[in-house]
Amino acid sequence: MNYTNQIQEIAAKLFAEGKIDVFVGYRMNGFDDNQVPVLITGPQDVSKLVFTDKSVFNLVNYLKTDHTRKKRVGLVVKGCDSRALNLMLTEKQVKRENLYVVGICCEGVVDDAGQKMQNCLECIVPEAVVYDELLGTAGKAETRAYKVNVDIAALAEKPLTERAAYFEEVFENCIRCNACRHSCPLCYCAKCCIDQETAALYNGANTTSAAFHALMTWSLHLAGRCVDCRNCEKACPSHLPLHLLHKQNESVIYENFQEHLAGVIPDDRGAFYKYSLKDPDDFIM
Amino acid sequence: MNVETFVTDKAGLNKFYEAIMAGHETYAPVEKFGKFDFNRVSRIGECNPESPISKTQSIKPLFFPRSAKVMKYVATSAGTEVSEVDEDPLAGKRVILGAKHCDARALQVLDKVYNWDYIDTDYQKRRENTIIISTRCDKADTHCFCTSLDYDVENLDALDVLVVNGADGKIYLQSRTEKGAEFLQTDVTRHASRVTKEIAAPDLKKQYDSFSGTFRLKMDYKEVNAKLSRIFDTPEFENVSGNCVSCNTCAFVCPTCHCFKISDEKVKDTGVRYKSYDSCNNGYFTLMAGGHNPRPVKYRRWRQRAMHKFVYYKERFGENLCVGCGKCTIACPVNISIFEVVNQVAIGQ
Amino acid sequence: MEQLLVPMICKVDKVIQETPDVRTYRLKFREEGMLEKFIYFPGQFVEFSLLGSGECTFCIASSATRKGYFDCSIKKAGVVTADIHQSLEEGDEVGIRGPFGNWFPLEDLKGKNLLFVGGGIGLAPLRSLIQYCIDNRNDYKDFTILYGARTSADMCYKDEIKEWQDNKSLKIVLTIDRPEETWTSNVGVVPKILEEVVKPVIENTKVITCGPPIMIKYTIQSLLKLGFADKDIITTLEMKMQCGLGKCGRCNIGSTYVCKDGPVFTNEQLKSLPDEF
Repeated sequence: MNYTNQIQEIAAKLFAEGKIDVFVGYRMNGFDDNQVPVLITGPQDVSKLVFTDKSVFNLVNYLKTDHTRKKRVGLVVKGCDSRALNLMLTEKQVKRENLYVVGICCEGVVDDAGQKMQNCLECIVPEAVVYDELLGTAGKAETRAYKVNVDIAALAEKPLTERAAYFEEVFENCIRCNACRHSCPLCYCAKCCIDQETAALYNGANTTSAAFHALMTWSLHLAGRCVDCRNCEKACPSHLPLHLLHKQNESVIYENFQEHLAGVIPDDRGAFYKYSLKDPDDFIM
Repeated sequence: MNVETFVTDKAGLNKFYEAIMAGHETYAPVEKFGKFDFNRVSRIGECNPESPISKTQSIKPLFFPRSAKVMKYVATSAGTEVSEVDEDPLAGKRVILGAKHCDARALQVLDKVYNWDYIDTDYQKRRENTIIISTRCDKADTHCFCTSLDYDVENLDALDVLVVNGADGKIYLQSRTEKGAEFLQTDVTRHASRVTKEIAAPDLKKQYDSFSGTFRLKMDYKEVNAKLSRIFDTPEFENVSGNCVSCNTCAFVCPTCHCFKISDEKVKDTGVRYKSYDSCNNGYFTLMAGGHNPRPVKYRRWRQRAMHKFVYYKERFGENLCVGCGKCTIACPVNISIFEVVNQVAIGQ
Repeated sequence: MEQLLVPMICKVDKVIQETPDVRTYRLKFREEGMLEKFIYFPGQFVEFSLLGSGECTFCIASSATRKGYFDCSIKKAGVVTADIHQSLEEGDEVGIRGPFGNWFPLEDLKGKNLLFVGGGIGLAPLRSLIQYCIDNRNDYKDFTILYGARTSADMCYKDEIKEWQDNKSLKIVLTIDRPEETWTSNVGVVPKILEEVVKPVIENTKVITCGPPIMIKYTIQSLLKLGFADKDIITTLEMKMQCGLGKCGRCNIGSTYVCKDGPVFTNEQLKSLPDEF
């Protein structure tokens, strides 16, 4: 998967036609074969742009920063990224007319070790679902049925005490740096509930209980919205398996709310924001 | 100063480590979720003193914990009682194995801020009671640039005992401080043989030369110091901070970042006051109650971070607040390199 | 460090509602003999904790020359201060750490004319110095206090200002931002009154100013226009602080720690700092 040339051409054209103020893409980090996101503000830097299977970070995250707000933005999105973008549009965080979206028919990205990422192996929406221009051949990727995440399935086999001990270790290793939240494209609140001074529970220290509350609140806020781009997990300096929290929510929602998957359908407000007669109600007394 | 030097081999080194673990409170890198943290260990099988630099957290939390209890209190209508917390779990006599040189150096840098004016006695006590055993790296990692900074990596005296992988499977142990020499005189070295430092010197030198030849990142820190101090208002900071996502990771993993916050956790009448990590990348860091914030936007916070590391701390305490370990770059969600940033900003001028 | 972060316990002796959103808390140490060890000078600050709610930085608003107690004037602004206003009453206990920071250059001020320019709650740190100077009145020459507030209701220390007005050796000028029916004194913002009404003598005069950031900015401009030298303009800075010990890194402006090297600075010193306060 290499769309470097096409993306450079598109970006150059957009700048030449005056259609965008900033283009969000990837560039080589200059040290090894890994890439860093880059915000390009003029045609002079277009040659820095690249796109390969190392283009991992979900760039929709940058639509919430000062550098792009109220500007016309060109943006590269893979399948999962475009789902996040769909949600941003549905939730009225960005205006479609301000965006020029370069969609990718993604064949999966790889981690630092060169292994294909787990979410890519399980991905069922590899092609961008919202775009102005689509790169790659649509329909080429193999179609997969939705399956419960392998790690979730493996954990479900274990007894409760073992699972509890495992998650306790996860929360113990959290250093409360909040990189997961800041890297999440859908965490756009101006002030997160975890940071409210009045929320005495969250306000404080880097304790295990604080980490538990912060991470659980965060994952529940993303229930039915998480698009499994794994920005959070890649961001975590403690390498915590944060996808477990999200994938569990996702599979429960998929099962109970008419096979809902976040951000796949434009203007779909999500499982928790709409009512259907088919919704389960057996928990209501 | 008395310098003790020993030579041994791989098996002897493991015996040395085992002897330490048997007789001392020992901390060493333990793998958890694919990265290494310095934890309490009792057997060599639990840890890996030669953990890769890119996956190892710093030893800072052993001196400046992520969250330390300051005090406990009970506040009722009858009155307020403040009590000291339980004994400091990090204050005992202990040995750290497998620390990296950059981590050890970071403590020397931190000593400056903790010992000016008000003395941080807890930190001081932890420092005094700790023996740091550090293996010199054989190869630089992608983001390492320790040899480009203001300290002598070869003769670093921030560590107490140096471990060097010499030629032909020989491993040298050498004391770097009085404390380290005393430690090596005890029976932990019973499986190694004493040599003079002159005999070891050529091998140590050779290893250092081969190690220092593996650095790809090189910079002139004096030039960076001088140039950065003149360009507070450069728009370049806005450009380089564009892809920063404003999380706190870089500061939390940095071995020299030392900013903290004080917070209370109270349930009913009883509470605990904590001192825990904080970071200048956090938008609330300098936000005042009235709403005024001297650093309201991202590039200003980035500027503070870069300038504090390479200008302000240098002005105040005479050291760079950076040891070139590259941990921030490795931990960064978007791989922003402080090396690249300061060079780009400074050299761009 | 951890011990340095443990506060001493003080009892609230008296609460004075200065304005709708400012209260002055008069504090006494719970333990005998603590006050003697608590040696402070005008301009210093303390870390004030309402246990369970959090810790805030406040300047000491009274002078050590008034024995037996010390005052903190607290404006309702954030979460902790709102809690303080809501729940802290006479007889309650609070935690105090300090005193921290530097103080007004008392030796330099001796034999000089003093001009105090305060706005709103900014009178609090000045009040400490004013009390100190009144108690050592013979050390100083002419004594002028210019104090402005948004409305007459927003004026702090009303009773004490009356005392000052009755003291013939002090010159007091009061002003509010907009006209009010019962107000007979000056109307207008502080820098305007400074130039048009006070018309200070520049020779041998030291100006001490504190107030909201915007007021300080324009007051300093006016003072410079009137011909004051940078070194004769003294102000006290407000920065977010937490430890007060020069460690936590919050109050850094360049290589300066406001909690140690400040909060009192001359304009000459401020000019050498990066523009980040």
